[in-house]
Amino acid sequence: MVNLDTGNEEGDAILVVGGGIAGVTSAIEAAEAGCQVVLVEKSAYLGGHVAAFHRYFPKLCPPPCGLEIDFRRLQNNPRITVYTLAEVESLNGSPGNYEAVIRIMPRYVTAACTLCGECERVCPVEIPDAFNCGITKTKAIHLPHRMAFPAQYMIDDDACSNDCSLCADTCRYLAIDLKQKETKKTLRVASVVFATGWAPYDAAKIDNLGFGTCANVVTNVMLERMAAPDGPTAGRIVRPSDGKAPRAVAFVQCAGSRDRNHLPYCSGVCCTASLKQAGYIHSQYPEAKISMFYIDLRTPGHLEDFASKAIAANGIELIKGKVGKVQEQPVSRDLLVTAEDVLGGRKIAREYDIVVLAVGIVPQSAGLPGCVALDEFGFASTNGGPGVLAAGCVKRPAEVAVSIRDATGAALKAMQSVAGRANHG
Amino acid sequence: MADALMLRPDRELIREVTQNSGGELKKCFQCATCSSVCSLSTEARPFPRQQVLKAQWGMTDQLIGDPSIWLCHDCGDCTARCPRGARPSAVMDAIRMATIRRLAFPRFMGNMVGRQENGAIMFVLSALILLAIAILPAIRSEVRPLVFAQMFPKDRLEPLFFAVSAYVVLALTIGALRFVKALRASGADGPILPALVPVLIEIIRHRRFASCGAGHVRRWGHLLVLSGFLGLALMGTTVGIGSLLGLMDTPIPTLNPLKIFANLCALLLVIGVSLLFWNRITNPEKRAGSSYCDWYFLALVGSVGLTGFLSEMLRLAQNPDWMFSVYYIHLSLVLTLFLCTPYSKFVHFLYRTLAMAATWRENQSPGQALVGARGSEITSA
Repeated sequence: MVNLDTGNEEGDAILVVGGGIAGVTSAIEAAEAGCQVVLVEKSAYLGGHVAAFHRYFPKLCPPPCGLEIDFRRLQNNPRITVYTLAEVESLNGSPGNYEAVIRIMPRYVTAACTLCGECERVCPVEIPDAFNCGITKTKAIHLPHRMAFPAQYMIDDDACSNDCSLCADTCRYLAIDLKQKETKKTLRVASVVFATGWAPYDAAKIDNLGFGTCANVVTNVMLERMAAPDGPTAGRIVRPSDGKAPRAVAFVQCAGSRDRNHLPYCSGVCCTASLKQAGYIHSQYPEAKISMFYIDLRTPGHLEDFASKAIAANGIELIKGKVGKVQEQPVSRDLLVTAEDVLGGRKIAREYDIVVLAVGIVPQSAGLPGCVALDEFGFASTNGGPGVLAAGCVKRPAEVAVSIRDATGAALKAMQSVAGRANHG
Repeated sequence: MADALMLRPDRELIREVTQNSGGELKKCFQCATCSSVCSLSTEARPFPRQQVLKAQWGMTDQLIGDPSIWLCHDCGDCTARCPRGARPSAVMDAIRMATIRRLAFPRFMGNMVGRQENGAIMFVLSALILLAIAILPAIRSEVRPLVFAQMFPKDRLEPLFFAVSAYVVLALTIGALRFVKALRASGADGPILPALVPVLIEIIRHRRFASCGAGHVRRWGHLLVLSGFLGLALMGTTVGIGSLLGLMDTPIPTLNPLKIFANLCALLLVIGVSLLFWNRITNPEKRAGSSYCDWYFLALVGSVGLTGFLSEMLRLAQNPDWMFSVYYIHLSLVLTLFLCTPYSKFVHFLYRTLAMAATWRENQSPGQALVGARGSEITSA
């Protein structure tokens, strides 16, 4: 029998790459089962995309709630070491015995930070706030977002002019260390879980749908931020061009998805996500007209039930027919949406105040080691042998609940590798 | 369900359209991006999605009289945007070819001209007919200056071409009547004759080509071919009738305004064909969607222009070794073009004009008619 509690010496740890919902889940599940875990996250905070969402489907509860529970479990667990602003530089070895080199970028702000915000006030460099999809601005020194974990400010290395020290001079807690340098750490681990997640498809590449050229065309990811109370509009969904309340909103499904010119596959979650987001609109503006243009409404499994309820509750008009053109009216900046209403057999052009592009999921698999095979679309199609595992959206497009289950399974597989080493060692 | 539709899939049509459109017909999953991005499809007649579906299902009867087939000007916007690579514009083109075959009079001619394996037959037939009326010793004629009439006397050549013209007009008329009947059956019931004037003006302006997104090369190429061809047809008819009545004598002197005009038209024709060739070759999607019928017609028109020029040059050079044989080839090509008119891509001039006329009334304010109120309900037709 293997006693996992004895496997705590160096070398028996599990390395989890990616601190989104999948990576955090794998780390916590393995650590709570008694394994040592190192969690490495590229950005300055944990929680990934889920931290930016307003509501989960189908339960429609706010993600920060679940994340807070996860962060508490993580904080209370002495077996987990977290590195943010960190990436895996190399990985060598065999199952049960890997050597990973991780590179940790300087944060320039230490744990002494009290989030007082004085530094941000004096910082002269303004940059687009990435967490809010660039809708609002932030400073080169900033807290990634209000609920950020770890709750520490950071300096964006690329944005900072590097020739001023106003922030450090202002900080009365001496929490800013502008002399921090990039560091490297070599870890010996028994197995690795890659939960590197996804990115939304770049909507600007879909040049017929107006993103980037028409002010009131937004993506589904942006709408999540606009709906969130801590978002750029304090939760009010308004037209980006003039801040006015929308009277008609169109959801354009398969924006770049199931399209050989963009993403040839179906991301499987965007239809349900749009139905969920229609609920945001309806609850704020019960009179607003909501249309959803789709090829096929794909709400698999139990989501079918969620879909039919959402359609009825939010008064969504469903139009079968993919949108081929979105044009901005010159003065009003209203949007003219052209599609063929397939079931009605007519071509239609309608005006909308906001058009939401339901963009798909792009796997973030570029940094995966060669032993993990990728499919034609870049998703991890196999694990890299028993010791290198993939979990979450880097494996396939998935909703949060599915990612969590997948990550839990990956944690079990990773622990088996640890156990295998203990068996043979 | 009183209007239950009995489907008898025409497998020949499915095979034909698949083959002539580059083989990707089955890939269409009916997302309707094509109809949406098309700048010519209208509220009441969205195409090409419905036509692609009907082709997939082999619904020949529903396609033959569908004016949308001809309202499409083959710019390729839909093919560029198609998320599946199903090449809707090439499918429309292939449906047009299939329609031409099925409207043809007599039908066996439609089948013969429309098939790649029969490609050379019409040319060989034309060459044999011309050989039969030619005076071959003319090639070694000592009489100067050398003129083509030494080989093809006017009193033989002109009756031949007038007879062939009469046959072509008959075939076109029957094809047009069949097409109008099919148009009416499909519900395209706009008045045709009154609409012909605005339609012809629209064709001369090439406005629909301009609104397509495929660029100016095609618009100018087609405009040059059309104007060059019309000019040459006008000149050919004028000179034919003129010389038959004894009012004119060929060859017309090089500096005669009529001859200058004809040469100019031939130049426009050759430049236009070159532009269209260039467009088909350089655009990979267009190239893949180009069928035998597209190349055949383009090559035929182009080679008529080129051999015509060459014959004229050789005649001016008084080259006894080459002028008669090149002219013989030129005449054979012209006769082939005549004979193929009702059965090749050439006949689009007739069917497209009729389709545009029959739908003219319903398209009076395209664009405006499309715009509904803000996010308004669709009112079903």
